[in-house]
Amino acid sequence: MGIFLKCLFIFLIVTLEARPISYSGGSTLMSMSDNMKDSVFYHYSPTYKYSVGIEAVKDKFFNKDYSYLRFTYLLDRKNTRHSQRNLYFQSGLSPDDNGNHFFGMHGDWETRRVFVGFGYKESFNKFQDYTEKFIQTGFAPYIGDYGDLHTWLMVKSKHNSIKGDWSTYPVLKFFKGNFLIDFGYDKQTDWDIHLMYRF
Amino acid sequence: MNRLLIIGVFMIGSFAWADHGHNNEMEMEAHSHEGHLHDTLVDGKQLDVDADRFDKFVAGLADTQIAIVSVNGMVCDFCARGIEKTFAKDSSVKKIDVDLNRGKVLIAYSNETAIDFDDIKKKILANGQNATDLQILIV
Repeated sequence: MGIFLKCLFIFLIVTLEARPISYSGGSTLMSMSDNMKDSVFYHYSPTYKYSVGIEAVKDKFFNKDYSYLRFTYLLDRKNTRHSQRNLYFQSGLSPDDNGNHFFGMHGDWETRRVFVGFGYKESFNKFQDYTEKFIQTGFAPYIGDYGDLHTWLMVKSKHNSIKGDWSTYPVLKFFKGNFLIDFGYDKQTDWDIHLMYRF
Repeated sequence: MNRLLIIGVFMIGSFAWADHGHNNEMEMEAHSHEGHLHDTLVDGKQLDVDADRFDKFVAGLADTQIAIVSVNGMVCDFCARGIEKTFAKDSSVKKIDVDLNRGKVLIAYSNETAIDFDDIKKKILANGQNATDLQILIV
């Protein structure tokens, strides 16, 4: 297998979350819900290079409630006139005594028209360790001006080592001002919803 | 334990960020015509500003300098929000506008303000983007 195919394979096994680090001094409140968990995550970015935060998790699979102290670091960013590329390291450590922690990578590349993102995360607890992977790609059907409602039509594929199969489903993303929402639905994995408010 | 060590190693690791901005300040009297805003400056540089947007921006402003900052990486409205918030904290800034289509940030300063491109670059970088060029117009 050629280097290109190997790189493509590595690219395809990893996921994304929308901008896990804010601008310097910025705070972000997120709410996420999918087939594995519901969570509320607040993070603060002392600089644009990293964020620290706390996440409260309702784990649907293990039927547990716990929290994470989270740290996200911008490993690499490339800005050009028409694009931005990011690579992040993410981690979380539960202060509880159940041993929950995770780490992973995710990244994205986007222009005003096209978006590609990916991620890989390994989670550990005293019940069963597991990995999650995803890739998400999409395009903006129109180019909105600053302050307009922006819309993205996307496709997301994700895999969880506990569930086993890959699931692929459409995702709609909308944002305006400091608010963002994206949601997708798949018969197999149910709703995948992500809300974000930045302040 | 090994996993925690791996997390620790990643936490302290970092990659250098290349910032290749350069300063091209040019002062001129500004007005727009037929959709263009003084296409070519006296030094031969092209000025890429949406004339209608510029006219709307400067409407009602007097004794003002407009800093037109070219920014790399400003591809998303949601990601550019911090630029507006950062400059809004600067008391010498009268008004700010983000032009995502052209990758420009327009900042209106009072005429008494000494516009410092290094300071602008720092503020843009604090939002995670790179300011690459500056042109100053007087209205």
